[in-house]
Amino acid sequence: MHELVLAGGTPFSVQLNLLTPLFDGIANGAAYGLLGLGLVLLYKSNGIFNFAQGEFAMIAAIVTYVFDSGTGVLPNLPFFVAALLGVVAGVLVALITERLVIRPMFNRAKVILVVGTVGVALLLIGVEGLLPYPKTEQLPDIGTVLGVRPYVAKVDQIPIADQDVAKIVMLVVLAIAAYVFFRYTRTGTAILAVSQDSTAARVVGISVERISAISWGIAGLLGGVAGILLAVPPQGTLTPGAFTGSTLIVAFAAAVLGGMTSLPGAFVGGMGLGLIEAFANADAAFVPGLRSVANGQAELAVFVVLILVLLVRPRGLLGQES
Amino acid sequence: MLEIRDLTIRFGGLTAIDGLSLKVDEWEIVGLMGPNGAGKTTAFNCITGFYKPTRGHVLYHGRDVTRVPPHRKAAMGIGRTFQNVGMVKSETALENLLTAQHTKAGYAALHGIVGSGVARTREKDLVAHAEAILDLLGLSDIRDRRIGGLPYGTLKLLELGCALATDPELLLLDEPSSGMGPEESDELGDRLLALRRELGVTMLLIEHHVPLVTAVCDYVYVLNFGKLLAEGDAEHVRNHPEVVAAYLGTEAVAG
Amino acid sequence: MTADASVSSALPGRRRLASRTVATRALAALPLLALVLWLPSTNDTYGHVATYAAIFIMVGLSMNVLTGYTGQISLGHQAFVGLGALTAANVVKTGIVPADPFMFGVGMVCASAASGVAALLLGAVALRIRGLYLALVTLVFGSVFADAIFTLPSLNGSDAGVSAYRPNSLASDYRYFLFALLLAAGCLYIDQRVRGSKVGRGLIALRENELVAQAYGVSVLRYKLIGFTISGAMAGLAGGVAAFWSQEFSDKNFTDVAGFNLALTFVVIAVVGGLGSRGGVVLAAIFFALTSPISPLLQSLANAMHWGTYYGNNKFYVSNVIGAVLLLQTVILNPGGLGQVLRPFSRWFAGHPFSLHDPDGGDTTAMEGGGVRA
Repeated sequence: MHELVLAGGTPFSVQLNLLTPLFDGIANGAAYGLLGLGLVLLYKSNGIFNFAQGEFAMIAAIVTYVFDSGTGVLPNLPFFVAALLGVVAGVLVALITERLVIRPMFNRAKVILVVGTVGVALLLIGVEGLLPYPKTEQLPDIGTVLGVRPYVAKVDQIPIADQDVAKIVMLVVLAIAAYVFFRYTRTGTAILAVSQDSTAARVVGISVERISAISWGIAGLLGGVAGILLAVPPQGTLTPGAFTGSTLIVAFAAAVLGGMTSLPGAFVGGMGLGLIEAFANADAAFVPGLRSVANGQAELAVFVVLILVLLVRPRGLLGQES
Repeated sequence: MLEIRDLTIRFGGLTAIDGLSLKVDEWEIVGLMGPNGAGKTTAFNCITGFYKPTRGHVLYHGRDVTRVPPHRKAAMGIGRTFQNVGMVKSETALENLLTAQHTKAGYAALHGIVGSGVARTREKDLVAHAEAILDLLGLSDIRDRRIGGLPYGTLKLLELGCALATDPELLLLDEPSSGMGPEESDELGDRLLALRRELGVTMLLIEHHVPLVTAVCDYVYVLNFGKLLAEGDAEHVRNHPEVVAAYLGTEAVAG
Repeated sequence: MTADASVSSALPGRRRLASRTVATRALAALPLLALVLWLPSTNDTYGHVATYAAIFIMVGLSMNVLTGYTGQISLGHQAFVGLGALTAANVVKTGIVPADPFMFGVGMVCASAASGVAALLLGAVALRIRGLYLALVTLVFGSVFADAIFTLPSLNGSDAGVSAYRPNSLASDYRYFLFALLLAAGCLYIDQRVRGSKVGRGLIALRENELVAQAYGVSVLRYKLIGFTISGAMAGLAGGVAAFWSQEFSDKNFTDVAGFNLALTFVVIAVVGGLGSRGGVVLAAIFFALTSPISPLLQSLANAMHWGTYYGNNKFYVSNVIGAVLLLQTVILNPGGLGQVLRPFSRWFAGHPFSLHDPDGGDTTAMEGGGVRA
C-alpha cells in the first residue's frame, strides 16, 4: 500500500490503493462482458443492437429471486433450481420478443428494428415494475448459496469476492462456448451464413426464421446468466431498468470498442472499460472536493474513449472495416 | 467549358479509369459510351466531385475544380442525373423540383427557419419556376404526387427536370433514355436538342441507345476498361472496328 | 428559363379559392382552441398539466426536426432538455424572490443557446459516426452528459437542486401555461417554416440520399449541423420552460433511470406521432402528457375502478407500459404513426376534399428502409 500526501501542506493524507480499483474494475468489466456477449451475438446474427438485453437479464434475476425466496404463493426452491427457472424465463422473453417484434419487421431498416428493441426494453421495465416483488432486494451472495466463506482469497488484506470470481469464470466459460458454437457447430455457422447473406442462406436451405429464433434464444440465455450474476451483492439490484440504465450502456460501449462482431473483443472491451471506470472513480476519490463528481467522471471517461475510438475507427477497434 | 486531363482513379488494386482526357465545348452535346464497367459513371463521379481522382485534373471554365466538393459543383452550374434515378422518393414532384433549386433559393438558411418575408417571396418564385418546368416537360398533372410510385420513364423525365431546376450550364446525364421505349427515346432526343436551343445548356451524356446518340451528339467518346478507345462524331465511332469489338466481344472480329 | 405565362397566371386563382376554403375549414378548429385556452384556467392542476403538455410538444417537435427531417435518431434527448433547464435556472438564480423578468428572458435565451451548441457538437460527431453506432453514441451521450455535467455541485445547487421561481407576471399556473403555449406555438411555427423552406427540403434530401442532396447543392456538413442545432435549441428552450414549470432544477430528473426513461418518452412521442408529421407529434405529446404520472387523468380513472392505490404506487411503470405498447404498435403495424391516421383530416384542413383514401399515400418513408439512417 502506498502513502500519498498532497503537496502544499494539505491536511489530507490519502491512501492510494490500487488493488481495490483493480479488483472492482475486473469485476465490473466481467459484468459488462457478460451483457456484451449477448449484444455481440445478436449483432453477428441479426445485425442489430438489442437494447432489451439488460431487461432480459433483469427478468431472469427477478424470476430467480422470487423462486429462491418463495415470494408470495410461490414455492421456495433451491437456489440453483430457481436460477435455472430464471434463465428459462430470460430465454422465453427473448423468444417472444423475436416472434412478436423482430420477425414482423425482418425487412425494415435496422434502425427501426433497434427502436423496436428500445420499445421492448421500456415495456419490460414497466411490466417488471407492475409485478409484486420486493424491488430493493438482491439475490443471495454466492458464498452463502454454496455455504463457503464470501471471498476466495485476500491479497494485501483486500478480499477477492466469490461473486467476482464467479462472474469472471462464467464470462470466460460462456465466451469460449460461444466461440466454439460459432466455429464448430452447424447451427453456429448457419447463423453466421444468414448474417452474411440471408437470401443466399435461404437458397441453400437454411430457415432464416428458425435461425433468428435460435439466436434470440441464445441471447436470452446469455442475458439470463448475466442477470443472475449482476443481481448479487454488493452492487446488485432488482430495480426495474437498473441494468438498462447503467450497465447496458457501458456494455454496449465495451462491445463496440471490441468491434461488435468479435467475442474476444467484447471480453477485452468490457474489462478495459471496467478498469477505466474503476480508476476514474478512484482517482476522483483521491481529490478532495471532487468526490461527488465521481460517478459522472467515470462515465465521462468511458464516453470519451468510445467517441475517440469510433472517430478513428467507426467500426470499433477489432471490427472489420466494411 | 469542361476539360478532363489525364484522369486516373484507382480503388485498391483496380484501375477504374486510366489516363482519360476529354473535352466538352460550350453548346456541345457530347456522348460517353462504352460497355458496362467501362468507367463512365466513375468519370461522372470524378467530374461532380464524389470521387477524388488518383491523378489528373478536371477543369471547368479553365479553372481546376478537381477537389471542389460536390455540393459546390452544383452551385457552379454543373447539374447531373443518376443512373438509377436519384430523387427524394418521399416527396412530391413539386417538392423535388423545389429541392433541386436549393442553390438558387436566394435566401439564407436562417431566413427560411424564421420564415422572413424574403424567404416567403422567394419561395413563391421557386414554386412558379418549378411549375414552369413541370409544364415544359408535360408533367403538370403529377405536381402533387409523391414520386415513389411513379413509372420509371416518368421518373427519368422528372429527374431531367430536377437537373434543369438546378439551372445548370453543364448537364451530366447518366443514361437518360433507360426504361424508355423507342418512341419516348426519340421524343427525349428532340427534347434535349430543344433544351440546348432554348436554354443554351451544354451536355455530356452516358448513353447506350445508339439512335439517340446519333441523333443528338456532336462528338462521342468511347471508353473500355477505363481507357479511351475511340473518339469522333457518332458515325465515325459507330463504325470504328475496336468499338464494334468492345461491344460484341473480340472473338466476333478476330474469328 | 422563363416561367410559362399561362401556367403561372392560372395558379393564383386556384390558390385564392383554396385559401378561402382553408379559412372556412379552420373555423372548425376554433372550439378546440377555445377548449385548450379555457380548461387550464379552471384549476391549477389543469394548468400545471397543460404546461407539461406544452413542454412535451416542444421536445416532440425538436425530435421531429432531428429524426423526422434530418433522419438521425436521438436516444439521449434528455441531455438537451436538462441542459436547458440547468442553464435557465442557473442564469436566473431567483432564490426565493420572484425572478427579474429581464433575467428570466435572458435565461430562456441562454437555455436555448446552450443546448443548441451542445447539439451542434453532437452533430459534428454524427458527420463521421453513422447508423446504429450513432444511435448508440446518442444514448451514451445523453446518459453521460447528464451524469457528468448535471451533478456538478456548482451547477445543481450542491445536490439540493436550484430553485427557479417565476417572475411575478407569470406566477400563476394559468399565466405560465399561456407563456409555454406561446413558445410551443413558436416551435410549431419554426417546424413549419423549416419544412416549407429550402432548409427542410435539404434535410429531407440528406435523410434519403446524401449523393442526390449534394448533387442539388446541399452541403452535408452544413445541413446536418443545422438540423442538430435547431433540434437542440428547441429542446433547450423546452428545458428552460420545464425548470420554471417545476420551479426548480434537479439533476435527479435527468440522470440515471429517470433520465433514461425521459429519453425514451421523447422517442416514443416522435415515433408514435409519426416521424416527419408535425400534427401527429403534437397530438402524441399531448396524449403522453395527459397519461404521464404527473397528470391526474389516469389516477381519477383508476380511482373510479377502485385501483387507485395500486396505480398511485406504480404510475411510472404504467406510463412505461403505455408508451412501450404504443411504440411497438406503431413501428410494427402503423409506421406512419398518428400523422398517417390524421392525414384525411389534415388534408381536409389544407383545402382538399375529405377522403379516407389518401391519393398520395402519405410520407411513411421516414420510418421505412432508407429513411431514418440513425
